[in-house]
Amino acid sequence: MHTGTLIAAFLTLCIFSFLYKDNPFYKFAEHLLVGVSVGYVLVIALNTTLMPKLLNPVFKEGRFDYIIPGILGLFMLLRFFPKYAWLSRISIALIIGAGAGVAIPATLQAKIFAQMQATMINFASVDGIIVFAGIATTLAYFFFSKEHKGWFGTSARVGTWFLMIFFGATFGYTVMSRISLLIGRMQFLLGDFLHVIK
Amino acid sequence: MSRQLIFILIALSVAIPLVIKLGLPNEVTSEVMAVYEEIDQLDSGSVVLVSFDHEASSLPEIKPMAQAVLRHCFNRKLKVVGLALLAEGTAIGEQILRQTADEYGVDYGEDYVFLGFRPQYQAAILGMGEDIKRVFPEDYKNIPLTQIPIMRKIRNYENISLVISVADGDMPVWWVDYAVSRYHMKLAVATTAVMATSFYPFLSAGQMKGLLGGLKGAAEYEMLIKKPGMGQRGMDAQSVCHLMIILLVIAGNVGYYLKK
Repeated sequence: MHTGTLIAAFLTLCIFSFLYKDNPFYKFAEHLLVGVSVGYVLVIALNTTLMPKLLNPVFKEGRFDYIIPGILGLFMLLRFFPKYAWLSRISIALIIGAGAGVAIPATLQAKIFAQMQATMINFASVDGIIVFAGIATTLAYFFFSKEHKGWFGTSARVGTWFLMIFFGATFGYTVMSRISLLIGRMQFLLGDFLHVIK
Repeated sequence: MSRQLIFILIALSVAIPLVIKLGLPNEVTSEVMAVYEEIDQLDSGSVVLVSFDHEASSLPEIKPMAQAVLRHCFNRKLKVVGLALLAEGTAIGEQILRQTADEYGVDYGEDYVFLGFRPQYQAAILGMGEDIKRVFPEDYKNIPLTQIPIMRKIRNYENISLVISVADGDMPVWWVDYAVSRYHMKLAVATTAVMATSFYPFLSAGQMKGLLGGLKGAAEYEMLIKKPGMGQRGMDAQSVCHLMIILLVIAGNVGYYLKK
């Protein structure tokens, strides 16, 4: 049997042992996972960001203008030193400013205009009417400037039904997702490790 | 009922259907069919961009979906450009792409390429709309893109027919925000079941062309391409386990009222 399969099976069983109760095997596997994940992400970040986007351009290609974003990046790390922490605000301001500038028009277009347009176009169909009813009544539920009484209270109550249906569907999908993870591990244990699955 | 007994019942309800094939029926949903049709209608040689936007923990759901979609792409003789916008998806994406490509005997650099990982996904998605080579000067193996045959004809989204985001988080929304809204790209999504409900508004608005939701989505896609895999096998276990959960919920409620 492949050594990697043995190690993976052992670590899987270590994690599953938590279902009985907390124990040193589970702790070992948990800490190993955290350490490996951090190490992996660090190496990836070094190889795909720091080297090609900063160190190579500066030291191999002589692109000294790249030093400016490099310094701004270093400023972010100064948050750990209270005396110089204020310098990190320059970098953060740049990120927030550029990020908001890029995100606001895109978000308005994708999540507001396009969604409203889709709701309007479908208004002629049964599905469209249900969608419209869902939007209107759910918004009514979240409108707190008028007391939820009379026709307005009724529509807010209908809004809660739509919300409950959404929560139910989401929870159902979540259960499915979590069971899929268990199935994946079972497929590995019974297939690759024990060869019980033909 | 002790929690250990519940865990044992759940484990058995998953393990037994995996060992003994039950062959429970599974219907293909319209959102999965839409992804299939979107890929199936592409001309041979068209370029599909597959973005592995996920972490390692969601592998049991991600792998069957990615494999099924890639098998369809390679079977249709489409060119595949792979990349990752989350660091943990990098090695997994490369492995899935390479293994599936090997099944079809297609060549690296000619028929498919893996570009690797780029951080700051907003900048990466937007940048690829202008010039992919500026965002990824080299591929995952550090080969300059100018030396890779498949990339000589691909400059930006204008040369790509479809983007498929294989994701376990909200990355497909960023693809909608930047690639779909700004560059009018066609986007299909293969996502974990837990995220699926978040994407239905985008699907019904036409901002996503189709959606594969978790293991069920993978099983449906495997049915469409007539190549059974991990998805279809897992769905028997999924169904029996769901039945067990429902029975346990009923038993729990009955027990509660009897005690009252």
